[in-house]
Amino acid sequence: VQQFPDTESHIHYAQLGTDVTLQCGSVDRDAAVTWTANSTDLDASHLNGSRLVLRNVDLSHSGQYSCYEGSSWHLKYRVNLKVGTPPKEPALMCRSNNYPSGFYCSWHMPIPTYIPDTFNITVMHDSKEIVCDMDVSLKNRCYIRYLHLFSSKKYKVTLTVTNALGSSSTSISFDEFAIVKPDPPENVVAKPIPNNARRLLVTWQYPSSWPDPDSFPLKFFLRYRPLIIDQWQHVELSDGTTHIITDAYAGKEYIIQVAAKDNEIGTWSDWSVAVHATPWTEEPKHLTTEAQGAETTTASTSAFVVPTTTSIGNSEEQGS
Amino acid sequence: RQSIQQTYDLTRYLEHQLHSLAATYLSYLGPPFNEPDFDPPRLIGAEAVPSATVDFQEWHSLNDNARLAANYQAYSHLLCYLSTMDGKSPVAMPTLRHSLAHFRASLQGLLGSIAGIMASLGYQLPPTPTDGTPPLRSQFLRKMDDFWLLKELQTWLWRSAKDFNRLRKRVPPSAVMLHLESRGF
Repeated sequence: VQQFPDTESHIHYAQLGTDVTLQCGSVDRDAAVTWTANSTDLDASHLNGSRLVLRNVDLSHSGQYSCYEGSSWHLKYRVNLKVGTPPKEPALMCRSNNYPSGFYCSWHMPIPTYIPDTFNITVMHDSKEIVCDMDVSLKNRCYIRYLHLFSSKKYKVTLTVTNALGSSSTSISFDEFAIVKPDPPENVVAKPIPNNARRLLVTWQYPSSWPDPDSFPLKFFLRYRPLIIDQWQHVELSDGTTHIITDAYAGKEYIIQVAAKDNEIGTWSDWSVAVHATPWTEEPKHLTTEAQGAETTTASTSAFVVPTTTSIGNSEEQGS
Repeated sequence: RQSIQQTYDLTRYLEHQLHSLAATYLSYLGPPFNEPDFDPPRLIGAEAVPSATVDFQEWHSLNDNARLAANYQAYSHLLCYLSTMDGKSPVAMPTLRHSLAHFRASLQGLLGSIAGIMASLGYQLPPTPTDGTPPLRSQFLRKMDDFWLLKELQTWLWRSAKDFNRLRKRVPPSAVMLHLESRGF
């Protein structure tokens, strides 16, 4: 804590669970003073002369403490007490979702410190340090561009977190190929195929973050199941971005997801957003418009005109 | 007909084979070589093994001849080196020596496959390394060389898969056929 003119606010960091003694600036140790915490008077039991003593502090002790000269209520000293903890080992993860352009590293604090932390990350490869460009929009993330491909040397990333009460660091090392994990496929669409009661056409697109599908083609994993059954069916597809499910239960609504992976390296993406579809079903003959039209022509010779109705089958399914 | 697809498939098979071979060999070499985070500096001996590392733009813009030639030269070197692998020493496990021999034969097949494609496309084969005997080195340094050889092999097989991905798309099978016919096959 640097020394400023007394009336300016100071910051004092204290570790959770410790005893804290706040001095009333340069006031004499035995001078008569009054301390307030967030403008609330503190009783004399906390005082040791002009010093304020707080025992076994917790987060609720954080706040603004002000010290006033005995009788004149002249503000002598103000301090912002921030109670927190020294940082524990941060969680660090690196991933290449746009191989071979580069990879990003992101981190978080599994255990919060409640006080401001600063992070410093270093990326070493082939005994050289590589710049990790901080992401402007996403907090706790930085990005490394690959200058070279197909390296047999590992990348080593070290993250150090520091706050007023201490510091901690973590390191990971990995091969270029091990961290390749695409984003999920996009624009997944599933549609019934007319006149095919057991088929569904599924289409999707490469994740837009994947830069070079030609040189780095993805393979896909499709899973699907009827809503009424928990067991997924899977199919792996090494080419193309469409698939026809040919063994769907007629009339049953299906849930479908797709995942992606580089053809040779890395790991599978997360599952895509789930889409739903129900295979094509035959229109019930008596209720369809044509059937009804045929009846109308015969009915016109009779006294009544049959009103147009939607097929129940359809309305019931859409309502689900 | 030496199709690029078959060469790609052979590359994938070799990669799969190497995965288990490398694990066995590294555990045979023992610590620290079989520790996951072992990341030693690359020593002089291993420099002879051509590195798969390449500048991204350069790799992207390689023409088909250069791309195939780079693969051919790499595997020529790697095969030479593979034959000096420590597996010959008496303490080596017979199963390991068998796996090494099998892998070498498969790698020889890949080399032949690449040569076949190059010949079918009318490309000259690059010079192959002379079968020089490696300099006398301590056992630890020989193990270090073996470690780096396996690493480089794995990386080259990954690179080759990507190379053949590009070639599959850029070199239509008919081009291979046309050239074969024009050479009277």
